[in-house]
Amino acid sequence: MTLLEVQDLNVHFPTGEGTVHASRNISFRLQPGEVLGLVGETGSGKSVIGQAIIRLLPSSAQVSGHIYFSGQDLTGLSESSIHALRGCSISLIPQNPSGALNPVMMNGQQIAEIFETQGTQRKTAVETSWELLAAVGLVPAERIAREYPHQLSGGMRQRLTTSIAIARGSTKLIIADEPTKGLDYHARETTARLLREISTEKHAALLLITHDLYLAEHICDRIAVLYAGEIVEIGYAEQIFSKPIHPYTQALMKAIPKNGLVPLAGQSPSLMALPEGCAFMDRCERQTEKCHQEHPLMTQENIDGGVRCHHPYCA
Amino acid sequence: MPSPVLCVTGLSKSYGHGNIFSGISFVVEKGATLGLFGLSGSGKSTLGRCIVRLEQPTAGVVTMLGYDLFSLGSKKLRELRPSFQMIFQHPEISLNPSMTLAESVAEPLMVHKELKQDEALNYIRSLISKVGLRDEHLARYPHQLSGGEVQRAVLARIFSLKPKLVVADEPTSMLDVSVQAQVLRLMQDLQKETGVSYVFISHDPDVMSVMCDHVLWIDDGTGVLFDRSEFVDRVRTQSR
Repeated sequence: MTLLEVQDLNVHFPTGEGTVHASRNISFRLQPGEVLGLVGETGSGKSVIGQAIIRLLPSSAQVSGHIYFSGQDLTGLSESSIHALRGCSISLIPQNPSGALNPVMMNGQQIAEIFETQGTQRKTAVETSWELLAAVGLVPAERIAREYPHQLSGGMRQRLTTSIAIARGSTKLIIADEPTKGLDYHARETTARLLREISTEKHAALLLITHDLYLAEHICDRIAVLYAGEIVEIGYAEQIFSKPIHPYTQALMKAIPKNGLVPLAGQSPSLMALPEGCAFMDRCERQTEKCHQEHPLMTQENIDGGVRCHHPYCA
Repeated sequence: MPSPVLCVTGLSKSYGHGNIFSGISFVVEKGATLGLFGLSGSGKSTLGRCIVRLEQPTAGVVTMLGYDLFSLGSKKLRELRPSFQMIFQHPEISLNPSMTLAESVAEPLMVHKELKQDEALNYIRSLISKVGLRDEHLARYPHQLSGGEVQRAVLARIFSLKPKLVVADEPTSMLDVSVQAQVLRLMQDLQKETGVSYVFISHDPDVMSVMCDHVLWIDDGTGVLFDRSEFVDRVRTQSR
């Protein structure tokens, strides 16, 4: 059974200068235990999708569409029902761990408080926190538990927020928002391994929101590529990396240093003034008259894959 | 044979709690790029700051364009400053937030060549268009621009002084992949055109192997020099 189904999700932010169309026409499915990468550059609307699922968007956001989690539509749930899911069946590993952790609370306590608020005895809660720290490789756990976030490296802080996210053990869906941002290559690899292990061990699905293509290539089963708030291509990771068919995905792959470091000219359109036709057309070498007039739709023939382009590079 | 642009000999830096690095030596020739590679906290940024005399090393000698950098008097140092420049990691805080891009880009020439702002902008017109900045960018403030745009403005600012050596401290680690490619390609083009030498600091092995002829791998406070293919091999064996 499908664990998560996002159907035609749109998120808009009205501002004084106009409406920001942050995410548009987003649809995808996630199976239990699957790792799906939402890959896109700054401002492509990927973080907004994660926040919409767990309902942490600011109140100014206008959301339409449906988000089914285990068959239940999250968009219609009351605040108390969604609150009960957060940190329990759905966990968020937030962007920027340094900002997400309480700087004046000891590392162990940041985990232990989750259990204490549920009425667990302090001693048990503390011991559980040690186990969880050790499980993400933060050892010696008893010492690290007594330290503070500023005493940890960026990679270790990422592990700590990860262990908080999975602390309650009943997680079915983990949303990881830019887990490798600002990490060096070594910490990036260990984070990748940790996320993959957790998802396998707990049989939890992972929605990986990232602009780190290395990470996406190494741990995702499927990848959705976002551009200007829309999914432009979705498919199996292997296929996206070896045979991308959307012109933007191709350009993105060619910009990777080891694939030639070919720059993509121009920049993404403003999310306040999107063109009528294809959002990528100004930077696309395959553009035609049709691209200017008609907004391309996602192809529908395959449930796991598709492309939003009038002239894809496909067979 | 011409003398190298930069020669670092036995450079060490320690703070109160111990050595950051010690006994670092390397040479950068004209038009070449040397990489400084290491994990977070390995001291590569501190080393970069010592090379341009933003920080005082504990021991060792930096010979910049034939001059012993740390024994230069302030007058001579000021004269030499334009020829060695630094690009910082965070584009969003590299420029003065209360100055428009035009003011920031013109500033170095106004300071070092005593030009007026419009004279300075005129003088570097072709450089400004080469880095892809248009009038609409120049009128804006840093917070109104993307990281890539600011980093290109930083390049225009630095290259207006015709530097001989640029220390680039993770210039693209905060940028998206496609923007990273734009900025790095631009750095390569500018190098071909002007013969500038780079000291390129990064923790990304892929970027390193594209940009650098040689890489100094800093680990545990000491540096080991690799050429490009040795570096690629070493990264591959380490990541297993």
